[in-house]
Order: sequence, then C-alpha cells, then structure tokens
Amino acid sequence: MLRYVAKRILIMIPTILIISALVFFIINLPPGDCVTSQIDELLSQGTADATAKADALRIMYGLDKPLWLQYVNWVLGIFSGSFGLSCQDATPVSQLIGERIALTMVLEISTIIFIWVVSFIIGVYAATHQYRTGDYVASFIGFIGLATPNFLLALVLLYVGKVYFGISIGGLMDPEYIDKPFSWGKTASVLQHLLVPVIVIGTSGTAGMIRRLRANLLDELQKQYVVTGRAKGLSPFKLLVKYPLRHAMNPFVADIGNILPEVISGSVIVSVVLSLPTTGPMLLNALKTQDTNLAATFLLFVAVLTVIGTLISDLLLAALDPRIRFGAKGEK
Amino acid sequence: MNWREVATGLALALWSGAALAGAPSLLESPSLIAEVKDGRLPPIGDRLPAEPALVTSFAGSDGPGQPGGEINMLMATPRDVRMMVVYGYARLVAYDENLTMQPDILESVEVQSGRIFTLRLRKGHRWSDGEPFTAEDFRYFWEDVANNSELSPAGPPLDMMVEGKPPKFEVIDEVTVRYSWSEPNPNFLPAQARAAPLMIYRPAHYLKQFHKRYGKPDALAQQIQAHRVRNWAQLHNRLDDMYRNDNVDLPSLQPWVLATRPPAQRFVFVRNPYYHRIDANGVQLPYIDRIVMNIVSGNLIALKTGSAETDLQARYVRFDNYTYLRQGAKQFGFEVRLWETATGAQLALYPNFNYNDPEWRKLLREPRFRRALSLAIDRDEINEILYIGMASPSNNTVRPRSPLYREEYRTSNIQFDPERANRLLDELGLRQRNDQGVRLMPSGKPLVILVETAGESTEETDVLQLVADGWRRIGIKLVPRPQTREILRQRIYGGDAMMTIWAGVENGLARPDSNPAEFACLSQSQLWCPKWGQYRETGGKSGEPVDLDSVKRLNELALEWEKSIDPERKATIWREMLELHARYQYTIGIVSGVLQPVVVSQRLRNVPEKGVYNWEPGSFFGIYRPDTFWLAGR
Repeated sequence: MLRYVAKRILIMIPTILIISALVFFIINLPPGDCVTSQIDELLSQGTADATAKADALRIMYGLDKPLWLQYVNWVLGIFSGSFGLSCQDATPVSQLIGERIALTMVLEISTIIFIWVVSFIIGVYAATHQYRTGDYVASFIGFIGLATPNFLLALVLLYVGKVYFGISIGGLMDPEYIDKPFSWGKTASVLQHLLVPVIVIGTSGTAGMIRRLRANLLDELQKQYVVTGRAKGLSPFKLLVKYPLRHAMNPFVADIGNILPEVISGSVIVSVVLSLPTTGPMLLNALKTQDTNLAATFLLFVAVLTVIGTLISDLLLAALDPRIRFGAKGEK
Repeated sequence: MNWREVATGLALALWSGAALAGAPSLLESPSLIAEVKDGRLPPIGDRLPAEPALVTSFAGSDGPGQPGGEINMLMATPRDVRMMVVYGYARLVAYDENLTMQPDILESVEVQSGRIFTLRLRKGHRWSDGEPFTAEDFRYFWEDVANNSELSPAGPPLDMMVEGKPPKFEVIDEVTVRYSWSEPNPNFLPAQARAAPLMIYRPAHYLKQFHKRYGKPDALAQQIQAHRVRNWAQLHNRLDDMYRNDNVDLPSLQPWVLATRPPAQRFVFVRNPYYHRIDANGVQLPYIDRIVMNIVSGNLIALKTGSAETDLQARYVRFDNYTYLRQGAKQFGFEVRLWETATGAQLALYPNFNYNDPEWRKLLREPRFRRALSLAIDRDEINEILYIGMASPSNNTVRPRSPLYREEYRTSNIQFDPERANRLLDELGLRQRNDQGVRLMPSGKPLVILVETAGESTEETDVLQLVADGWRRIGIKLVPRPQTREILRQRIYGGDAMMTIWAGVENGLARPDSNPAEFACLSQSQLWCPKWGQYRETGGKSGEPVDLDSVKRLNELALEWEKSIDPERKATIWREMLELHARYQYTIGIVSGVLQPVVVSQRLRNVPEKGVYNWEPGSFFGIYRPDTFWLAGR
C-alpha cells in the first residue's frame, strides 16, 4: 500500500510539470501579449508614444525573452515561493491570489457539502420509493436543476434576495466587512451571502449525484442478499443502511477527484455573474488579458487540486470497499 | 494684512466672526477637528495656500453646502481607482462647465505668443502629506524624470515636443516656472486639463528616495528587492504614476486621496486635508469626507445601481438600463438623470483605407462606395428600435452644441435611400450579382463586408444586425465578427480588418481651439487610416505615406492648426476639415446624442440636472467638480 501511494505521488510530479508547461504555452498562443492590452489604456491617457512605453513594459515583465525562458523563470520562481508579477498591475501574483484562494475553498467546500447532503437524502428517498409520486417530484426537481443555466438562476436569486430579503447583490459579504479583520458580524454576513452561490453552483452537481445514487441503489436493492435479508426479518431501515447503501456510496467518494476541478471551473461563470471575490473572475480576466503568470498560477493550482483529489478518492475507495482493495484477486 | 496671518490666527476658532473683505474666515472641517486638536494635523489656516481657490459658482443649483459624509460608488476593476483622479479633476488648469480653461492648482498662467508659458503656483500650497508643493516638483519632473534616459527611454512626453524639440525650462522662483518653445505649442495647456492629464510635476520630496541620483543606494536596493522589480527605473515608474493612482504613499493634490493599499475589493478615499479650494463660507472643499469604491463585476453594476447600492453612478450603466433604473428609483429613492453624451457618434463604421487586399482597398477608398453604404443604413429604424427614438441619426462629426456645427455635417448622405445607393453602386460597375443577390466585384468576389467589433456589448451587434438588413437591399452582405479588443486593434493596424465598428470621434463638442487631430491621419489609432497615421507617427520608419489627395489636405490642415495662433484661422481650418469629412464620408456615423443615465442619491446635492457625460473634454463628472457635491440631511 505504501509503495502504491509513493508511486502515485511520484507520478504526480511529471503530470503537474506537463500540465503547467501546456497551460503556459497555450495561454501564449493567441497573438499579442498582456502588454498589448495595455496599449489601449496608454492611448486613452493621451500618451502618443504608447509603443515606446509598451516596449519598456515588455522588458519589465520579461516578455522580450523567448517563451521557453519565460516558462523556466516562472517554474524556478515557484520553488522560491514567487509566482512572478501579474502583468495587469505589476503586483506579485502571490499577493493577489492569497485571500481569493481561501474564499474559494470556503465556497467550494460548502458547495460540496450541500451537494452531498441534498443528493444523499433525495437520492435514497427516490430509490426506495421508485416510481411513486415522491420519486417523480425529486427527479423533476433534479432535472430542473440540471437544465437551468446557472447564471440565469444566479440572477433570479440575486434579485429575489435583494428585493425580498435585503441581501446586498453579489459579493461574499456586505461591503462594510470587506478588508476588515474577522468578526462574528463578518462571518454571519459571509454565511448569508454564501447561500445563493452555493445553491446555484450546487444544483447541477446535485442533480447528477441524485441520479447516480438512485441508479446504484436500485441495482443493489434487486440483489439476492437484500431479498435474503428481508426474508430473515431484518428491519427495513437496517436492511437499507447496513448493506445496499454502503455499496451505493461508492460514487460519492469516487467523485471527490472529479468534483473538485468541476466545481472550481463550473463556478467561474457563476462567480463572474455574482461578482464573488473568488479565483474564477480573476482567472477569466487573466486569460482575457493574457496575463500569463497569473493565469498559469491559477491553472497550476487547479491541476494540483485535481491530481490530489483523484489520489484521495482512490485511496478512500480502496479503504472503504474491499472489492477494490483486493481488485482482480477477489473476482477469481 | 496678510491673508495667511489672519488664517493662522483664526485656525482653531471655529465660527470666528472676523470676516475679511473678499476673503471668508476659515472653518475647520468637522471630521478633522479631532486630529487638529491632537496636533496630528496643523490647523486649517496652515494647511491652505496663501491664496486658496475661492469657489463661488457651482455646477448644480444647490450652492455652498455642509461638509461631511461618505458616498459609495461601484467600479468594475481595481484599476478604476484612477477614476478618482478623473472625477477629482484637480488640474494645473481645468475646464469649467462651459469648457473654458481656468487656472485651478495654478494661481495664474501667462502665455506669450502661444509658445512661452509662465506658470505661477499658489504660495504655501501643500501636497496631501503636508510637504510644500513648489517649483522644485516641476524641476524634478523635467530634469530627473522626463529627461532621464532610464526613466523615460522615449524622451519627454510628445505633448511637450514641438517639431521634435523640447522646451527651455526655467525656475524663476520658488513658485514660478517657465516653459518656452521656439514655436507655438497649442497642446501644452489642453494636455493639463485632460481627463488623463499630462502631469508635469511630481512629489519630489517623496520620489527622490527611489531615484538613483538622490536615493541612498542601500535603501534603494532593498526597495527594488521588496517590490520584485529589476532596477530603480522600474521601481520609480511604478511608484510615481499619479494618474494610475495605485500607490497609497504617493502624495497627491486631488480632493480625495487613496487610503486603501491595493490589491483590494473595496477602496476608500479620504479627503485631502491640504486641498486648495474653499467656498465663500470658508469651508474647505471637498465637502464629502470619504468616497468608497466597491469593486464588483461589471455586469452586476446596473443591477446593483438599480437597488441603490451606489450614491453616484454613470460608469458601467447604459441607456438600455434606463427603464430598469427608473423602476428602482421609486422603490429605493434615488434619481435617474439623463445626460448628453458628446461623442461625434455613438457608433460609427470605419472602412480601413489600408486594408491589405488591393481590390477591396480600392473600393473602400472610393467615396461613392462609402456614400452608398451610408445611404443604405436606416438610421431612423435603428434609433427607434435600439434607442427608443431618443438619439438622432448622424454622421460621425461635431455635435450641435459645438460652435463649429453645421447642419449639413450631420445630415449629408444619412437619409435612407436604397435606390440612390443602388444607382451609385451600378455606376461603379458592380452590376453582376450571384445567386443570392449579392453583388460581385470585377474579379468575381462577392461583396461581403466583414465588420469587426470589440465584442464587448450587444449594442454593437444589434446595430450591425439592422445595418445588415439595409445593406442586403443594395446587394451587400454584412458579416459581423466579434474580436477581443486587443486582437482587433492589431488587426486594424496590420490592415487585416476590413471594417470596424467603434465609437465616433471623442470630442463632438470641439471648439476652434480644440485640436482637430482626430479628423486627420496623424496617428496609428485612427481606425480608418492606421498605416498613414503610423507613417507620420514614426517619421516614415513604418506604415505607408498618404496617397490620397483629400487626406493629404486633412493632414496639412491639422498640422497647420498646431502652428497657428490666430483663432479665426483655426476656425477656418476646422470648417474645411469638417467639410472634407462631410463630402468624402471617410467614416460612416450611425446615430449620435445617445443619453447617459446618471444615478444620483436623493441626498446628494449639486449634481447638475442636465449635463454632458464625456471623457475628453469633460472628465466625466470632473468639470462639474465633485468636490462641490455635498450630502444633505443626516
């Protein structure tokens, strides 16, 4: 087992390196660089010598160097804890993303918990009450969640939140708490503002999860050991929780690896719409302006999360499910 | 008796009755009283210049008001902190609301034959950190910044060069400096009054520590390390930008100064205790103590504005939000005012005279072709559908409020007349059509015009949709092509974009003494003739020389205007240029005069009911001087 974990961790290193190189080069594929996007602004300042200034900026950001050298410099910088300068405002990238990553984590973790709790309850209910009214209602709600565009739902909920509940539109806290130290008021404000994004981002994930849980559980409920258990007089609740449900839990764990990156990328659009101070809007903007250092750092962070997520879910699955632990051996 | 002595004497006596003839007795701002008592801040008399600027007229109708309070604004990116320099609008010389230039930071300015400028500062004027603002700050900029080859590799700013030559700079005394050129420099003063001004001074006392010539090498090296830049020049350039306004430590002369260290999502600006303007009651401006700028995503701003999360908002709010805003106005208690805009056209089509395909280029340069395109646009329909009839069909030219305006500049070739357009195209020999009814060029290529847009708003694509309907009737197919702004610019400059849709000329309110360069091809940024502009900008090193007589004439006129000091001649030059534009239809304007919603909290006073919302000249709210806005009630 230890050997297996060590091997997985060693494989992670080249994987992440390759991802980071790909990301770095793809960001630089479109014509122009991040300074091109500032020429407009220099022009609007009435600087007629905008091109000369742009060249000076290019030297400052090291864009005069060949791309591979820029990449090497960026990677070497990471080992000394520096992700380079963001091209937009010449601020070190690490300074820009610190708080955003923290808030993103809060948001994503809440969303995952929301997805799990809601889909667990509804999924189990739908499976045990197959083809009854409850099942249809639950499935209907699930499909609606899957089919409604996130951003639309976001806008509707925002408007309702403001007009009927007085929650300020967008953001993750009331304006007066921004950049203030931690306090109960701030926490309460964050929780209040989390509600809309969590529901919005969570709905589509929930819908998928409900379907999977329901399908898996239905499979298990048909099996002979369930019939045997029932024949032996086990109480319906114990019969459900003790065996089939445990089998059906596998997708939950297996999804950790998928859900982490999915939730992060899926929340970009919602975060832009809701103006959340998370990594999404900043990443989008960085990509639009070809701010390579900033964008590559974000994507690297997403890649690392994905790889770690996959590893954790694999390990957890192995720990939870003996069939996986013993693999092919068990089949014989 | 000296004003300054009196002021000092009165400093702590708040409502002192000892009024001087002409000069009001000074009042301490309530929010600063505590700091003055503690001795953290000198009393008001010591903070103001000996001759403060006395404000007697107000853009709004509410007159002098009460100091205090805080207002909120919404912005879309942290880089918008520079908007406080635009709105604050403290300039050496500034436009008033009638667009007449007046000394502002300067006490006076004297101009001899358009080429010798003597600037006199206010004695005792101080930076926001309390250090004196003197001629040394001008000398520092000129000698140690503009003429330092490491800080300004391209040399002094172009607005300070006349025929490639810099001015002679002299410090006359501690409050007087003089710039003299050998030829007139008509751009020098207007550049000071711009929304993004040419700042010819720097807080020398602060910046010297970052300058190789003055700074201590050890400390400088440490700073370079701490800011992760490569050398002192980069460090200096990053810290000294008074327009970007993103350095908390950089002293300022603006009414409000940045108090939040970026990066942040919420920026607070606090009053500059050394600001140079007072009202007739002796109250130091600005009236409002704090301005809070919340950064939210741009597409939420209209939504948030409609629920009163801002006290003064026009940026990122568009005319198509008007009905939504009006609805919120009733519920949340704010006012929605409609201000005029001053661009020559809300949107205009720019055929690229330097397009790379020779056959197309020839056609795009043909005036009859452009006229036909213009005649085939149903501008009334666009106005009715997209601007609920509140704009007016127009060429891309000056607006009726400009003294240079003539009806024919706006209306020539803008009536919807597909028959005439068809005749014009037939005359050009474009009679062949393909099976879809699209006309063919002599080589057999169909007339499909790709119009590239910056793709930032649906407004452009909506307009193009309606333009396409009209053009279809004359056998021309329009295909819109959204790009990102940066790539679009490159494609235009490189001659890869056939036609672009973009906002019209910036200064639709031009006066004879406004620079007509926007109507000529002197710079690469002219979307209809980028390579000709580039040729002139680079002195012939790149780009192409102008090979069209009427455009040559435009350039000659614009250059002659720069040298001319006779207002009559300047007006004649303007007229001839505008006539050339009307006659040759270089660009195709669509509508102009689209209104800008301005959302104003009911508590906020002195924001004019009617105004012009424009970047240059106008500085958005700048010319209405937000330092005179005040909050009622509380």
